[in-house]
Amino acid sequence: MSRHLISCHECDELCTLPSVLRPGRYKCPNCGHTLFRHSPGMIEKLYAIHIAALILFLLSNWFPFLTFEVLGNSSEANFTTAVQYLYQEQDYLLAVALLMTTIIVPSIRIVLILLLVAPLHHGRVPRFAPYYLKTIEEITPWGMLDVFLVGVLVSIVKLVKMGSIIPGTSLWAFAALILVLAYGQTIFDPHPLWERIEKAQKEGEAERFAKARG
Amino acid sequence: MRAVDRNLGSCPVCHQLVRFPKQRRAQENYALCPRCGSEVTLRKPASLQNTLALVIASILFYVPANLLPMMHVHTFAGIQSDTIMSGVLYFLETGSYLIGFVIFVASIFVPILKMLILLYLVYSVHQGQTTRQKERRRLYLLTEVIGRWSMVDVYVVSIMIALVHFGGLSEIRAGMGALFFLLVVIFTMLAAMAFDPRLIWDTPKEHHA
Repeated sequence: MSRHLISCHECDELCTLPSVLRPGRYKCPNCGHTLFRHSPGMIEKLYAIHIAALILFLLSNWFPFLTFEVLGNSSEANFTTAVQYLYQEQDYLLAVALLMTTIIVPSIRIVLILLLVAPLHHGRVPRFAPYYLKTIEEITPWGMLDVFLVGVLVSIVKLVKMGSIIPGTSLWAFAALILVLAYGQTIFDPHPLWERIEKAQKEGEAERFAKARG
Repeated sequence: MRAVDRNLGSCPVCHQLVRFPKQRRAQENYALCPRCGSEVTLRKPASLQNTLALVIASILFYVPANLLPMMHVHTFAGIQSDTIMSGVLYFLETGSYLIGFVIFVASIFVPILKMLILLYLVYSVHQGQTTRQKERRRLYLLTEVIGRWSMVDVYVVSIMIALVHFGGLSEIRAGMGALFFLLVVIFTMLAAMAFDPRLIWDTPKEHHA
């Protein structure tokens, strides 16, 4: 199909895109939904942002994010503490949901974006690129780090009256991670990535065809 | 001009347009996307049925989620159990109005709003309503955006569990309410994903074709 046709995912309007794109949002003329964003330098920005995100993610998982002290007893919590306790008390579904939405999905997403974007930046399309991009798109709604941050803030308010709360190193790293990921989310647009992949697929086919003919 | 009118289906993953044969039989047939290999259908199959089923399931889960305690606080003085509403009331009584409001909106208001919106959307599409399409589209976007924020309460419970763990002195455990609440969030998210917003813009007779 011509690459200048696109259909709106909200109302199925068939839209023709200009052949030269200006940076910014393209909206569906019928319903106003954002068709896609054209942001030049997106690959480089995503590359930089997700390296930062990876470092921040490791930091926030490495150190405890809150310390709670009451009557001389203190306890520390990091990301996996809650999962461990929930598992011990046989609330398996809660433990799994927590593990998936705050650790597994976000980390897979960061790693996959890096695996995809790093070779693209160096001018190569990775072999499993379609699978990476597909997985990224499918798991995105289930990563809920930003919601988790609000949860952390609410529980700080809840616990502050029972004892003293000491924010740990990882809380700062975590807050920074949310900002970085939020920015990454606003510039992430799969369309140019798919176009790069498609181009590489066609070139690969042409090469194979040329080889087969000798 | 809609893409369907030209027998074009859009890939749900990579938005590639795929040409469908002229004699398409209703919405059941599918094609494979040449670019990413996903299944492409003209409309999400059985969208209304799936959405309705998932919404009904989440309504059923919503009842125990609110009635059963979210967490149990074990102290030497005994066990105290908290439901969502008692948590909100606690915040309001102690003067943390903002947090009380956030919890109320995220855990009580948002799930109900989401279920009502989805029920209305399914109903309006089923009735073949062709008015207020922009408003209905906005309602659908709202359900997609706010849906995940209901998880806040589940996270609060799990962080409390992680932090308050002092053996016999005081300990917090998760209640059944938290489990049901998690199911409400998951099922409303799945319901919103099952709904196909393009149905809002279709003309009535196509849905039953």
